[in-house]
Amino acid sequence: MAGLTLIAAIALFSLWMVFIYNRLVRLRNDVGSAWSQIDVQLKRRHDLIPNLVAAVKGYMDFERDALERVVSARAAAAAAVGIHEKAVSESRLTRAIDGLFMVMENYPVLKSSENVMQLQEELVSTENRIAFARQFYNDLVANLRTKIEVFPDNIIASFFSFRGAEYFSAGEEDKALPSAGLGTRSND
Amino acid sequence: MPMTFIDIERQKSWRISLLFLFLTALYFVFAFVVVQLVVCFIPGFSVMHGSFLVVEDPKYLAAIGFSALFIASVHFLTSGLIAARQVVEQVGAKDPDPEDGIHRQLMNISEEIQITSGRSKRIRCMVIPTLSANALAVTDLKGEAVIAITEGLLSRLTRPQIEAVMAHEAYHVLSGDCLETSLATSFFGMYASALDRLRSGLAEEPRVLPIAVVFWVLVKFATAVNMFISREREYRADAGAVRITRNPLALAEALDIIGRRWSGAGLISDGLEMLCISSPRISEHDESEGWWDDLMSTHPPIKKRIDILLGMAHVSASVLTKRETAKPPAAESAEPLHYALDPDNVWLGPFSIAELATFPWFSPQTWICSVAGGKAERAAGLPGLGGAFTGLSPGTEAQQGGVNCPTCRRPLAWASYEKTTIYRCMFCRGTLVDNDKLQRILARNEDECSERIISLVRAVTADNQRSLAIRKLRQLDRRKEPLTLCPKCGRPMFRTFYSYAYLVEIDKCGICGVTWFDPDELEMLRCIIENRITPRIDEPTMF
Repeated sequence: MAGLTLIAAIALFSLWMVFIYNRLVRLRNDVGSAWSQIDVQLKRRHDLIPNLVAAVKGYMDFERDALERVVSARAAAAAAVGIHEKAVSESRLTRAIDGLFMVMENYPVLKSSENVMQLQEELVSTENRIAFARQFYNDLVANLRTKIEVFPDNIIASFFSFRGAEYFSAGEEDKALPSAGLGTRSND
Repeated sequence: MPMTFIDIERQKSWRISLLFLFLTALYFVFAFVVVQLVVCFIPGFSVMHGSFLVVEDPKYLAAIGFSALFIASVHFLTSGLIAARQVVEQVGAKDPDPEDGIHRQLMNISEEIQITSGRSKRIRCMVIPTLSANALAVTDLKGEAVIAITEGLLSRLTRPQIEAVMAHEAYHVLSGDCLETSLATSFFGMYASALDRLRSGLAEEPRVLPIAVVFWVLVKFATAVNMFISREREYRADAGAVRITRNPLALAEALDIIGRRWSGAGLISDGLEMLCISSPRISEHDESEGWWDDLMSTHPPIKKRIDILLGMAHVSASVLTKRETAKPPAAESAEPLHYALDPDNVWLGPFSIAELATFPWFSPQTWICSVAGGKAERAAGLPGLGGAFTGLSPGTEAQQGGVNCPTCRRPLAWASYEKTTIYRCMFCRGTLVDNDKLQRILARNEDECSERIISLVRAVTADNQRSLAIRKLRQLDRRKEPLTLCPKCGRPMFRTFYSYAYLVEIDKCGICGVTWFDPDELEMLRCIIENRITPRIDEPTMF
């Protein structure tokens, strides 16, 4: 009888372990796919910027500063590796683009160029997609971190060496700076 | 509160089973009454069974119960599977046009919102071609989800406001409460529209149709189901939208705009009201509170929703009224000025692009010269000047639309107007507009009407009103005029007023649905609708 109880207990324990392990794996994969969403949108933004810069360059000869800031921020963002470095450089790029949009407001003639308006819309949309993808990713990371840290899941997590993912955020040094949005979303 | 939208999506709503039970109970009662009535008329039944009541015989009860269950299941599945398609057809929603600037923006916003849920559910966005301001979400048992937004609302909201409205509707879909409202709608709400149609058909010869009585009963049931649909879900969706967009002020502004405008009463039938962001039905319950109003209304007072959102944004209600009265900022002085050569070969100016556009003689062929210096050139040659032609960019040879102008026979060019594409004759400046694009153009007011158009509208509508009144009094038919041939199908178009409220003459093709506007007619029609100009006969005309 005692043997049977022991076997039943071991079976139950293994079932519980399998359940927790599978849940952690699922969460980790969710986080991975959410990250790839962000990556796709960042790439899309990097591809759009040269087109916009080329389209507005002719009209905005006096605003070389704003254009150059965007170009150099884009280059830095494209070269960044690692989640934190990417978050910081992308946040700078967002601010550079917002600055450019603000300067563009002073040129009503740009508003009548359909090409520029279309590029601006695409870029605003991409900014939003990045912001939404980041929200989603950060939610999932928080979920995974909670699961790894709560008892008793933390036993399984440490046994199979699950690690919490890093948040996609620019960190304290960038939060202090205000970001100007023109029809775009500000950083969360 | 679930952590992510994936979790919310995984939750199953128990209310769906409640709806099914309600439906079964309904059929049970219906079948019971029918069987009981039939039995009463069978002679000798009471002698055989010793009683008139079928309740006392379990055999009958079981038979009624099974048939009720069977019919309810069939009704549940058939209605549930086609709910989205049915609603889309009923409101006449169409897929957005990728060539249209505003529709493209809507498609982008829809993509953005779906990223919030990790693309766990595919949501189609559609446009309802009407001037009313409303939005609705519908989903069905197949998992098809549609968010439809009216052209009128789309044209009046800014990008962040459209985002907020889409997020509100997307939350309904993702949280699952949309499924129960969609099912309730497809069970009973559809009959409300059928009843509306019957009513309008019967308006000329009033009589009672048995089918109308059945529909009426079903509509009453729909009202009963409305009672189950809690007002709370709208508050939850507002909060969900804020969670997605982090912009409570945009949603408050959007609701304010929706609340002030015609939200589709008469067009969106009563049965669909619970799917909409704001109730199209005008009812005293909607704007008041109390347990009875809570029970009878599907939507909470719009003012209270706005107040909650403003509270989240930490701003007072005066922000909305200020925005309402605030004029758009005047054009910056950075705008280049130009001299222009008028038809009498006299240089005039300097003018800004907007000012130039108000001259009737200004065309892509006009010679202009920049104030900053440089040589004179055609207006079409300058970058950025394209938009000056009352919102039109001149089409190049490559952009020709493949149809000819019905008056001067030259090829029409594709042109962009109010962020959609139309055909325009660059010679006589007449315009050809496809049927589905006309509503969009009329709903939008990207460009302001010029003084010249406003004066023209007053003169022309007063003139048309007068001649219409004379024709009616003298009982004359329309005056005979040579008919213009449709540039697309070659058949004669009929010349008519756009409507008796908007007295602008247009040429319409009854076969392919295109409308030809002579020069200024399209601008006049837009101006009348935008400024609500009514014709006045006593007003002296400008001619």
